[in-house]
Amino acid sequence: MALATKSAGIRQLKNSLAQWLITLGGIGVLFTLILIFMYLLYVIKPIFDSATVEPLANISIESSSPILVTGVDELKELAYIINEQGVIDFYQLKDNKAFIGSEEHQAVGNNLLSIELLAANETLKQLISSGVDHQLLLTEQGYVHLIRPTFTASYQDDLREIIPHVIYPLGEDVLVVDEQEQMIEKLAFMKNDEQAMFVGFTQDGRLIKTTLVAEDDFSYDAEYEAIYQEINFSAADVDDILITPDMDMAFVRSGNQVSVFSLDDEYSVDLKDKIIPNLANDEIITSMALLSGGSSLLIGTSGGEVSQWFEISTVNGRVFKQVRTFSASSSEAISQIYTEQFRKSFYTITPSGEMGLFYTTSHADLWRGQLIDSRPSTMAIAPRADGLILISPVQSTVNNNTFNLLLFAVENEHPEVTWQALWQEVWYEGYPEPDYIWQSTSGTDDFEGKFSLVPITFGTMKAAFYAMLFAVPIALTAAIYTAYFMTPGLRKKVKPTIEMMEALPTVILGFLAGLWLAPIIENYLPAIGLLLIFLPLSTLLTALAWHNLPKEWKNKIPETWAPILLIPVMILAAYSAFSLSPILESYFFGGDVRQFITNDIGISFDQRNALVVGIAMGFAVIPTIFSMAEDAIFSVPGHLTSGSLALGATQWQTLVKVILLTASPGIFSAVMMGLGRAVGETMIVLMATGNTPILDWSIFQGMRTLAANIAVEMPESEVGSSHYRILFLAAFVLFVFTFIFNTVAEFIRQHLRAKYSSM
Amino acid sequence: MITVTPNALSDSPNKMDLTNIPPEQIALDIKGLNLYYADKQALHDITMSIPKGQVTAFIGPSGCGKSTLLRCINRMNDLVDICKVTGEINLHGENIYGSQIDVAALRRKVGMVFQRPNPFPKSIYENVVYGVRIAGEKNRRNLDDIVEKSLRSAALWNEVKDRLHESALGLSGGQQQRLVIARAIAIEPEVLLLDEPTSALDPISTLTIEELINDLKKQFTVVIVTHNMQQAARVSDQTAFMYMGELIEYSDTNTLFTTPLKKKTEDYITGRYG
Repeated sequence: MALATKSAGIRQLKNSLAQWLITLGGIGVLFTLILIFMYLLYVIKPIFDSATVEPLANISIESSSPILVTGVDELKELAYIINEQGVIDFYQLKDNKAFIGSEEHQAVGNNLLSIELLAANETLKQLISSGVDHQLLLTEQGYVHLIRPTFTASYQDDLREIIPHVIYPLGEDVLVVDEQEQMIEKLAFMKNDEQAMFVGFTQDGRLIKTTLVAEDDFSYDAEYEAIYQEINFSAADVDDILITPDMDMAFVRSGNQVSVFSLDDEYSVDLKDKIIPNLANDEIITSMALLSGGSSLLIGTSGGEVSQWFEISTVNGRVFKQVRTFSASSSEAISQIYTEQFRKSFYTITPSGEMGLFYTTSHADLWRGQLIDSRPSTMAIAPRADGLILISPVQSTVNNNTFNLLLFAVENEHPEVTWQALWQEVWYEGYPEPDYIWQSTSGTDDFEGKFSLVPITFGTMKAAFYAMLFAVPIALTAAIYTAYFMTPGLRKKVKPTIEMMEALPTVILGFLAGLWLAPIIENYLPAIGLLLIFLPLSTLLTALAWHNLPKEWKNKIPETWAPILLIPVMILAAYSAFSLSPILESYFFGGDVRQFITNDIGISFDQRNALVVGIAMGFAVIPTIFSMAEDAIFSVPGHLTSGSLALGATQWQTLVKVILLTASPGIFSAVMMGLGRAVGETMIVLMATGNTPILDWSIFQGMRTLAANIAVEMPESEVGSSHYRILFLAAFVLFVFTFIFNTVAEFIRQHLRAKYSSM
Repeated sequence: MITVTPNALSDSPNKMDLTNIPPEQIALDIKGLNLYYADKQALHDITMSIPKGQVTAFIGPSGCGKSTLLRCINRMNDLVDICKVTGEINLHGENIYGSQIDVAALRRKVGMVFQRPNPFPKSIYENVVYGVRIAGEKNRRNLDDIVEKSLRSAALWNEVKDRLHESALGLSGGQQQRLVIARAIAIEPEVLLLDEPTSALDPISTLTIEELINDLKKQFTVVIVTHNMQQAARVSDQTAFMYMGELIEYSDTNTLFTTPLKKKTEDYITGRYG
């Protein structure tokens, strides 16, 4: 009895141990899944966060005259202001940093450096900011100076020093902008290393263009030659002038009308287009700004709206068109628009200080708020677009020479991504109409990432669809034949062979598809069509011939190996299809099917197309579907088959009405497993699709799938960037896809099983 | 030890001379039938006539070939690749192993019920009309009539008439077997082959099926294989005793169980082996 008790105890121990391990395994799997989900969501979440603006510093500064402009360095450690007297003051914004060296300079709010930019008798009339921190000084006396406040970092004793100073990119001499040396009312400026360009409106009503062409390179030599031009233009007054960064166009606003001049011609400046916004009765244009990249013009109105305009191709050539409108304020005019330097974001501000932050392309309303009580004297966006600096006069002081310098931190990492922009048509700059586009990188710097998940989601569907189109008929008929008609001896060899195919690395399949199959299909396209007819036909004919073969002949070939007879027949059929292909091509398609398809039918033809992917991925999916479907069909109990046959059903009727019905849950699972594999497959689509993210069902065009997209772009995406996070989102979408597929499949399978499973 | 109930014996119908039945009363005429599984011979020169409208039972120990013989009658052995048959089985004077025979048509005339109930994973209704639909009947009213008639004949109608469109797999084993019989008789075969129809059932269901067999012989010629001698005695008019693939003795049930001619038969029915 003691022995029995002991063994019972061990058994119980094993039992509970097994129970624990199994439970642990189950929970572990679930936990891992949730963890993956959570991680994906954690990476994705920031792209849907809205922008935040938080105060960072508030410094009280003194200035003897109104402040015209302000600016801040990249790290938001130093700020500068320029007042009407032409004095530039640098202030420290952060503690505990060794600036200028001596200790007294280390406190926040210290004035680090003060330079008088103008002679004593001059006062500033206008300050024009352009390019990277260039400040153009236009004095009441009609002189023009160009300065650039800079911050140079140097390291001493492991401490970073930031030294502010002012440089004169075009020399310290006064610049002569007007040949006739008239007073200039409005002036715009743009400069690169080769030339500097001014467009100005003089007191005597002339619109002038002045180009300073560098003798060598402005970055180390300020020598230049000036070219003066007069622009054919007549208006009583000019309110705004803007020059695009590439110096191709100038926008000149007088009243409610914006004239666009083409500047790229050296000899004459032509009027290119006129922008006349559709305004309500008493509405006027109150502000104007160029969006980053210089392709879009933003126009702010007294009605509180900002409209975006860019050139699009129409039948009448390229014209400016209003693309979208932002309602920035419900009651007030837009007194100023500030655009970010590298992104398509802009800030609006109204007379009462009501502010808004918007992103044009995604049409996103990112943030609205009021940072100070009134309109600030001036405002600037930090170079990295992560901060705002505002100057506001302190009203209470008697002589009005105290100002507040306010610094705000802006958290706005992913303004270009919104749910709508990812899944709906977006009108990008320069495109004739809204479209679904995935284009994450480009050669140029001012390129804007286009992240529509629609083309790649579509590509995933398309690849899976064509793969299934190829795989399902073959895999299922093969499974039916193997399970139901094949002799056991042959089945024992065929089934493992097909299952072995599953072990084939998909990179090899993709490689073969891309480099071997794609050119063959391209060169023998008619043969592929012929194969679709020849293979089934030759199979059927062989079957018919076999059926009618005299018994003595049949007996010579063991029944097990009879199907092998098909192999030479099929090879022959394939061979004849390929030999007929060139003949067919020259007779019916004018010698070149590719040209026929492209020119006569009007479908474009890619070498890496859906047909190649369908075949290659179909090949990868076939073993999955075959193996499961074959098992399902083979495991239909024999007594059901006998029952049906005994009722006078033929083998075919039995197959269709009993076997397939009973095996349907298994067959369905098999197909869904295949679909899941096709959706998630990466290597084959990566190598054989051409990876073109286009929206087109055509079998002769390529596609890009979610999985391939992740594989292609993940290595080149900057960690933490919108691109990076969107790739994670793509992974998440893929995950959700397979999740939905599997859930639906399982649900339907359970339903079928409840209905059709036999004993 | 003879375990046949006197009641069954007295129920035995008028005796027949089985070697000399008038041709119009013969349902099946088996002549010199041999069957081989590859090189192994499973049936040896079987010759017998099965009379119309009666129940004929095949008895014998396991592996004696009684099921194989039954399966020969509707050519179910065709499904076995290595099986080869010589000799004749004549139905209406036509050899069912002839070269012009449509096996599907033959099986519509010779229905079969298997040892284990094998309803299809469909509704009760669809199970019954399966064979009829296969044969091409589409008229809904005809189908409805056939379902009712067949289920009534199989003594199942009252139990299932309210749930004809529910899955057949929800029925009990005995009900399933009667459903399978209903399915078989829905196509109105001439001969009904029952291959140990009650071996997977409980005694009550067995009794129901046996009563059913008694009714069925009014319409069909029934051939039943059973290893239950009492059952053979209870339900059959003729009994054939087979041993090692040979037909040892074939006579009316009463005679076979009371005064067997062969020693082997007596040994078997008295329980010496089997």
